Amino acid sequence: MRERPATDIADHFAEVTRSAISQHLAVLKAAGLVIERRDGTRRLYRADRDEMKKLREFLDEFWTSGLERLRDVAEAAQRDKEKR
Amino acid sequence: MAELVREIMIEATPETIWSFLTEPDSLVGWHGTVAEIDPRPGGIYRVLVAGQFQSAGEYVEVVPTEKVVFTFGWEEEGHPIPPGSTTIEITLHPEGDKTRVRLVHSGLPDDAVDDHGHGWALYLERLAVRVAGDDPGPDRGSGGEA
Repeated sequence: MRERPATDIADHFAEVTRSAISQHLAVLKAAGLVIERRDGTRRLYRADRDEMKKLREFLDEFWTSGLERLRDVAEAAQRDKEKR
Repeated sequence: MAELVREIMIEATPETIWSFLTEPDSLVGWHGTVAEIDPRPGGIYRVLVAGQFQSAGEYVEVVPTEKVVFTFGWEEEGHPIPPGSTTIEITLHPEGDKTRVRLVHSGLPDDAVDDHGHGWALYLERLAVRVAGDDPGPDRGSGGEA
């Protein structure tokens, strides 16, 4: 992932103000998804892929185990209905 | 932006499964511990997960026994998936006496972007989603907003 200054990033979003972009970059940085580096007066940003990968793995597990629990409770409920 | 797709085959009718998606007491039988949900378009979706993580969003589309769509995120300060920033669509497909349940979680940050510049464009679409979502809504501002 290439490093970019915030102004470059803002150029991708014509309808979004620079200050909004800065705020969102700050949120992503706080979340650990973006790494900021200072180069003189410039701030450069790059995405942290490892963190994004971890987030993806978390969600994979979150929904996989969730659906397995849904299957267990729904199948139990279905068996109960059929007994009656 | 990325999406995550999960499917599972369940030996139950869509009607049986539907109640577990839309009734709070049944929902917490498999997902979360406290559910405050109003499954109709514009209705609130709030589910407390693992006793401490507050997920939140809003229902977008509800077609009984077929399909439910809601926005989704976490209220935790600074979480990369804030409330309303992603979308979950759950569809039920009857196959004989079983039902295939398909879950699509879309609008996720990309983790497989290339190094040649469009990486940022893809990744930063998320920012646009957040910005667009900055209008006051019923579920915003109680935690995850920075």
